[in-house]
Amino acid sequence: MIVDGFFVAGTVVCLVSTLLCIGAAVIRQPPNDVTILAVAAVELFLLVYLVAGIVRQAGGEPVTGEVWEFWGYLLTALLIPVGAFWWAILERSRWSNLVLGAVGITIFVMLYRMEQIWDGAMPA
Amino acid sequence: MGRSNAGVRTHGEAAGTLSRGPGRLLIAVYGVFALAATARAAFQIGTKFSEAPLAYALTAIAAIVYVFATVSLSRPGPRWYRLSVAAVGLELVGVLTVGTLSVVDPVLFPADTVWSGYGRGYGFVPLILPVLGLWWLYRHRAASSERAPAQARPE
Repeated sequence: MIVDGFFVAGTVVCLVSTLLCIGAAVIRQPPNDVTILAVAAVELFLLVYLVAGIVRQAGGEPVTGEVWEFWGYLLTALLIPVGAFWWAILERSRWSNLVLGAVGITIFVMLYRMEQIWDGAMPA
Repeated sequence: MGRSNAGVRTHGEAAGTLSRGPGRLLIAVYGVFALAATARAAFQIGTKFSEAPLAYALTAIAAIVYVFATVSLSRPGPRWYRLSVAAVGLELVGVLTVGTLSVVDPVLFPADTVWSGYGRGYGFVPLILPVLGLWWLYRHRAASSERAPAQARPE
């Protein structure tokens, strides 16, 4: 796996998003503009990653792993912030911020896998 | 659902308490694992089932357990409570059995499953999750006896 701009940017977005949400939970805030925008930022990154993925593939850049597995991960990942947002705002307690905080962690793991599929796995 | 009179009720008294507070996070994590295990099982069985049928069948069983637990934990009522205990209990038995077998006899599982090495490949979350789940269910055990109010403790 090559550590490229997408991976760095995605990692930063996910990390900041998760830290903001956990922070809000620690100070006993219900989901607010800050944590909802933090999760929206993760979704925005995924949309940029989606467009970039389409452009890169259309431009003939090779994918090392299974192409459909990459897209399966990406399309699933796109649903996660939306689902977490829906689940979190049904109950506006501080625990819901931890639900939102789980988005960043989950998307980071999925991004790591997607980058592995694209570039080939690092020798373990 | 979505009512805002939290705090007035006593512990585990009312329907839907399992999906409140920390329960929301628990169910969210179950949901993520349901998704991950289902996708992984579908991928493994669809592309390379003959390589390690036992391991991949176990991933599929784990996926079913996670999906079922996600649904049952988020539903109110004593019936769903009992089904949750069964699902989360089965999950704990599964992770302990598969985890132990995979450590004692690695040849048995040439390919990794969600539960191999006690969920090592998933940050041991598969081991922690059922313990937290059973603890959460135990704390809300009154939800299992809605039809027998005599058992409700005076608090």
